[in-house]
Amino acid sequence: MIGYLVRRVLHALVTILVAVALVFIAVRAIPGNPLLARFGQHPDADEIARLRAENGWDRPVLVQLGQFLWQVGTTGDLGRSLARTNVNVTDELRKRIPATVELTLAALVLAIPLGIAAGIVAAVWRNRWPDRLGMFLALAGVSVPIFFLAICLREVVTFLPTSQRLPLTMSLEPLTGLLLVDSLLRGRPDVFVAAVRHLLLPAVVLATIPMSVVARITRSSLVDMLASDFIRTARAKGASLWRVVLRHALPTAAVPITNIAGLQIGLLLSGAVLTETVFDWPGLGRYLASAIIGDRDYVAIQACAIVIAVLFASLNLVLDLVYVWLDPRIRLQ
Amino acid sequence: MLVPPLPPQAGVVLVLLAGALLSTGGGCGGSGSGGGSSASDSVLIYAQPEDPKTLDPINTDIAEAVHVLTNVFDTLVTYDDETTEIVPALAESWEHSEDGLTWTFRLRPGVTFHDGTPLTSEAVKVSLERLTQEKHPLVFDTARPYRSAYAMIDQIETPDESTVVLKLKAPSAILLANLAMFPASIVSPTALTKLGEKSAEHPVGTGAFKFVEWSRDEKLVTAAFDEHWRGRPKIDQLIFVPVRENATRVQRLSRGEIHLADSLTPVELDSLAKRSELAVQEAVGMNVAYLAMQTEKPPLDKLDVRRAIYMAIDKRALVKLGYAGHAQPAVSMVPPAMWGYSDAFEVPPYDPPAAKALLEQAARQHGFSLPLKLRLSVMNQARPYLPQPQAIQGYLKEALAQIGVEVSIDARDVNQHFEHLMAGRHELGLAGWFSDNSDPDNFLYSLLDSDNISEAGNNLSRYRSERFHELMLAGQKELDTAKRLELYREAQALVAQDLPVVPLVHTSQRAAHVKRLQGFTLHPTGLVRLHQAHFAEAGAP
Repeated sequence: MIGYLVRRVLHALVTILVAVALVFIAVRAIPGNPLLARFGQHPDADEIARLRAENGWDRPVLVQLGQFLWQVGTTGDLGRSLARTNVNVTDELRKRIPATVELTLAALVLAIPLGIAAGIVAAVWRNRWPDRLGMFLALAGVSVPIFFLAICLREVVTFLPTSQRLPLTMSLEPLTGLLLVDSLLRGRPDVFVAAVRHLLLPAVVLATIPMSVVARITRSSLVDMLASDFIRTARAKGASLWRVVLRHALPTAAVPITNIAGLQIGLLLSGAVLTETVFDWPGLGRYLASAIIGDRDYVAIQACAIVIAVLFASLNLVLDLVYVWLDPRIRLQ
Repeated sequence: MLVPPLPPQAGVVLVLLAGALLSTGGGCGGSGSGGGSSASDSVLIYAQPEDPKTLDPINTDIAEAVHVLTNVFDTLVTYDDETTEIVPALAESWEHSEDGLTWTFRLRPGVTFHDGTPLTSEAVKVSLERLTQEKHPLVFDTARPYRSAYAMIDQIETPDESTVVLKLKAPSAILLANLAMFPASIVSPTALTKLGEKSAEHPVGTGAFKFVEWSRDEKLVTAAFDEHWRGRPKIDQLIFVPVRENATRVQRLSRGEIHLADSLTPVELDSLAKRSELAVQEAVGMNVAYLAMQTEKPPLDKLDVRRAIYMAIDKRALVKLGYAGHAQPAVSMVPPAMWGYSDAFEVPPYDPPAAKALLEQAARQHGFSLPLKLRLSVMNQARPYLPQPQAIQGYLKEALAQIGVEVSIDARDVNQHFEHLMAGRHELGLAGWFSDNSDPDNFLYSLLDSDNISEAGNNLSRYRSERFHELMLAGQKELDTAKRLELYREAQALVAQDLPVVPLVHTSQRAAHVKRLQGFTLHPTGLVRLHQAHFAEAGAP
């Protein structure tokens, strides 16, 4: 077991390193650079040359990569933003990650239970209208692009706010950065309600794809499972349908569902880039989008790459451990 | 396997439920928008597409930051509320020596910064030296896009607390105009020293609104400054919010969640203008969109070829196509709203058949074959002077095809696009300019003078004319406005004769706001000054 764990951790580290190196090199390979964005139509050739040298961009890219990894590894400092004067990227990310985490968790809380419930209903009434309706919605959920859905919802649901995390006139000194938690800790029910209202639309939009995927995978795993011998036996012994589904079939189908759900959590991070941009959600995704599109801020982009790679890799690690717990056969291998 | 039967009415219940949900949605929506503005009447919310990157006036050149800086800081001199005439601000009066090398400014008495520091000549010296000196202890970021605009200042002296003397390297007619620009904002020296590099996130000036808080990508809050020398602003708070998507700005404006929005497309603004609770302001813009022809690249080095291209473009069609009618065809690079503008010269007419004939003749004479293949470099993103670059590039391609020029489009991100043009790697290039200081020199010298042919220079056509250069240098030194006007008239006529560029259009500036917002007018320079802004009483028209 320990050996397994060590192997998985090493795997995760290598994945992070490779991902960061790829982003680091790619962002420097694409045309344009942060200084062009800084100076716009008023460039100052001498100053630009000086800043290039100061940032070490005149050195070979692998040397730059080495220096960057050394700096991060030894000090944990991700560097200073190139687009935003005198701002440390680590501090910037510290403020934004909780916003993304809150949004992602909210989407998960919606997506996984609802997806599993829809999958169960569809599997139980296979080929009847609940199945057809559920799977039609699931197909629609996967197919409709997030930004399109966001724009449509925004037009229809006019009673919910469509921007930011709180009304402009409201603010709260952060503790954890998760507004739902902080507002309760600080005893501010008004902030809590406002935060939930702001969270609803983006969370629903972000939840659609994982919810649909989870519903489909739950359905297909359960359909297989419900046709198997041990289920028939259980039914023959008089267990009720729901008992059989919830106590016998679902736990057995849990491994593929966990697998897919886990992957979806990772994908939520990429969905967050779009959702956060459409809803002006001040999180990691929006920060990354503006660092890439507008500013070409190398430092911000590579810092986001590290954070996302670490999140992804740790998530996978946790999932690997969850499989072991769910399915003893993996433990034995 | 046994399946529990579906209750027959389940489907009906589901449909009813869905219907009920949707209708409550609609009902709430109605009451929600009926509730009107979410903020109190003394708070003005201004939505911009981006958040500023920095609030240190010397380190930025993006409009979103400038809109904040203009309200938080003052400059020594500024523009009149409605025109571009230079009027006193922190300097009550000024004079210059006969040779134009010494300028003396007398500061307005009794002015204080938001942190209580009194305005003294020393504060002005520090603020300006942060721009003029290569290294300055109070410069915390060396990226200073506008530094060259202050290069004429040699020394800054402070004979007493309320007098500032600027010693120039050479006489300069644009000194005042440049001192009115936002980089020359006067910053509290106490705050700079105390806050150090954090001052980029905590600006302290003498402006009508004092900085309160900024959570990046969320909101930037400023509050009325009670002791402002022009009196307290009429609103209590001015909040800037970044709302990236145009559609969201439009929607939030319609819902009354924000009060003022800009950077919308002509079509979006036209549709907002039809709504009774909103108003769209329009003012002539200090800008130009133009087609740069790289005159070093044959056959664009031949006047006939450039002339033929000029004659193939119908600027009126462009106004309709790319600007929904909210622009005017350009004859000069200088916008008509700016002093110094001249149209007292002939420009080639729009005449595609004649253009075609001219190009054929040029092809025979200079030995190139038709169709002439040219690359047109364009930017992917909209600019204030080019709200729909795709529409314009499509039109140009078709228009030039008519006269025998086969255009291939070469699109880039906007910053790389300008880098490409500055390096002269293009043949034809779509470009534009937005006034920095409301002086014709800023358009003519920056965009057409041979001094600005370099990897970082804005003479994108690489136009070289000795006479033009002489006129520009003379214009920069001449302090008599009438004489300067003559110089710029001749320069504009010269450009119309040599045709290094095709000036296309001057775009109108437009902004949308809730109708209740009053006391705000779009300034020709594009500055957004909200000192006089206020909300009409509820129920008032």
